Amino acid sequence: MKVTFRGVRGSIPCPGPETVRYGGNTTCLEVRFTKPDRLVIIDAGSGIRALGNHLMRHDLARGLRQVDLFLTHTHWDHILGLPFFVPMYVPGMTIRIHGPATFEDDSLEKVIRGQFEYKYFPVRVEELACTIRYVELGEGVLDLGDGIRLCTKYLNHPVGCLGYRFEHQGKSLATVFDTEPFQNLFALDPSDPDFDPAIAREGEQAAAEQNRLVERFYAGADLVVHDAQYTLEEYLTNRIGWGHSAMEEVIEAAGQNQVQNLALSHHDPDRTDAQLDALAAMLCTPGAGKATNAFFAREGMEIEL
Amino acid sequence: MDESSQADEAAVRRIEGYISKMPSLSVTVTRVLEICNSPATSAHDLNRVISLDPVLMGRVLRLINSAYYGLRDKVASLPRAMIMLGMNTVKNLVLSSAVLTAMAGKKQAQGLCMERFWLHCLCTGVTAKWLARAKDAPRERLEDFFVGGLLHDLGKIPLNDLFPNEYQRLLAATARDGLSLHRLEQGTLGVDHAQVGGMIARKWQLGREQEDCLAHHHDPPGAGPEHALVVSVVALANQLAQGFGIGNAGDSAPDAQALRGLCESAGYADLDLEQLRTALVEEVDRARVFLQLKSGEKTGEGAP
Repeated sequence: MKVTFRGVRGSIPCPGPETVRYGGNTTCLEVRFTKPDRLVIIDAGSGIRALGNHLMRHDLARGLRQVDLFLTHTHWDHILGLPFFVPMYVPGMTIRIHGPATFEDDSLEKVIRGQFEYKYFPVRVEELACTIRYVELGEGVLDLGDGIRLCTKYLNHPVGCLGYRFEHQGKSLATVFDTEPFQNLFALDPSDPDFDPAIAREGEQAAAEQNRLVERFYAGADLVVHDAQYTLEEYLTNRIGWGHSAMEEVIEAAGQNQVQNLALSHHDPDRTDAQLDALAAMLCTPGAGKATNAFFAREGMEIEL
Repeated sequence: MDESSQADEAAVRRIEGYISKMPSLSVTVTRVLEICNSPATSAHDLNRVISLDPVLMGRVLRLINSAYYGLRDKVASLPRAMIMLGMNTVKNLVLSSAVLTAMAGKKQAQGLCMERFWLHCLCTGVTAKWLARAKDAPRERLEDFFVGGLLHDLGKIPLNDLFPNEYQRLLAATARDGLSLHRLEQGTLGVDHAQVGGMIARKWQLGREQEDCLAHHHDPPGAGPEHALVVSVVALANQLAQGFGIGNAGDSAPDAQALRGLCESAGYADLDLEQLRTALVEEVDRARVFLQLKSGEKTGEGAP
């Protein structure tokens, strides 16, 4: 399994001299499986544009006719590159778009189609040359064929958002974005007028249980790509509930869960290269006793598992 | 045999279509919109308003039970669902249901009075929880009894909305002659609200226990033996709520003597009905204040 980071930024693309080394494109991961060759793309942030161009140059002639795209969720920064993904305009190409089911009227298909409405983009879905298939996912385990097993887990983000764990030939990749730890939303202070001991207890239990399940979901993976948009100080100051994690907490949890390699990703758009370098020097220094190799993901980075 | 196979097929198809876009109750809609449109909404406020509306409660439970494949048991706890789904997702879901209500307008005037229906649902939920506590049910199970009571009459909403003229006649006949509403529904529409409740519970994946509460609250022995307690408690709570005359969902109400008999046969001979009634009135008043309802029907007034 080979993973290439095509976009590592969160929220919005942010090209410029201060982000040129880590990259300004939003989330997109290219995952290649060998024996037999399979391509999986995770998320269609602005990074998917360059990946699409690469596929046209190198893979189309080799017989690429199908692309499996797994959307973690449908917030803008994870889908905005899709209209610029050139394989969508290739006759005979099939794009299978997998993503979390909404279980409401707004199906995955309806959400994606909305992006191609004439007012937002000049090409409508009906005019695309490729065939699009939509595969709605919930939590579960799927056999993708060719020995690839996929496990999915709901994360904590302000819309249905799935973590994906791919396992193939004894290696595993888990994506854990966009997410933050599940929180007890209910008052814990007995002096709070809203305090209800039964609800407070249940809230504590539910949050702890879900956090244990997320950790179990990625435990022991060879590579975990995790949301790490904020520092702990930023997170605690005023960003709880925004759906993103604090890098210090992510590193600690990965270490406790036998993660081999931890790619901190979904960088804040305001985070400069210099700041990421400084954070890496502070948080990711390889040291004795540290079982997890933690690093900040960079656009273009390739990791062979 | 599947109960719905006996029902009128065309009616069932219409009902199924309705269930997928069921609006919340008009009683809660103003407060729902206010809470969901406020950036400063607390989880407690959202929890409270959902707890007061059987449709909203059902829809949130439906989402949690659909989405989380790995659940060993269906989730019937609203606080748990809110934490697993997140505030924004729940807000958005609740808002979409309220918007359907706002679009539907006030056409319910013909059949059930929605404010009285709402009062009945709330009182049945509160009473079921009260009865469960009196039987020393485990604390973590009390909410299941409340939810069963709150949701038990959900099946009336599609019937009332889809067949307003027929339903109005059935309600009038029940009130006039003291006949059983669900038998009249069966005779006229080919389907009764308990069956429709069962359809809703299955479609919304509320779990077998809630399905039994909705489908068997007029027929507790028909429920699975593992749910006998909760269904019998909801059935009794339904009768008590009607007997107290707080709210009304169209059924004929038992008199005081009949109520006492029902309590005794269900093992609640020592139940202090006056104390329960006082607690219900207080709970309903609190709900009214929370929902900022104008003083409409007086809470403590007698039969419909």
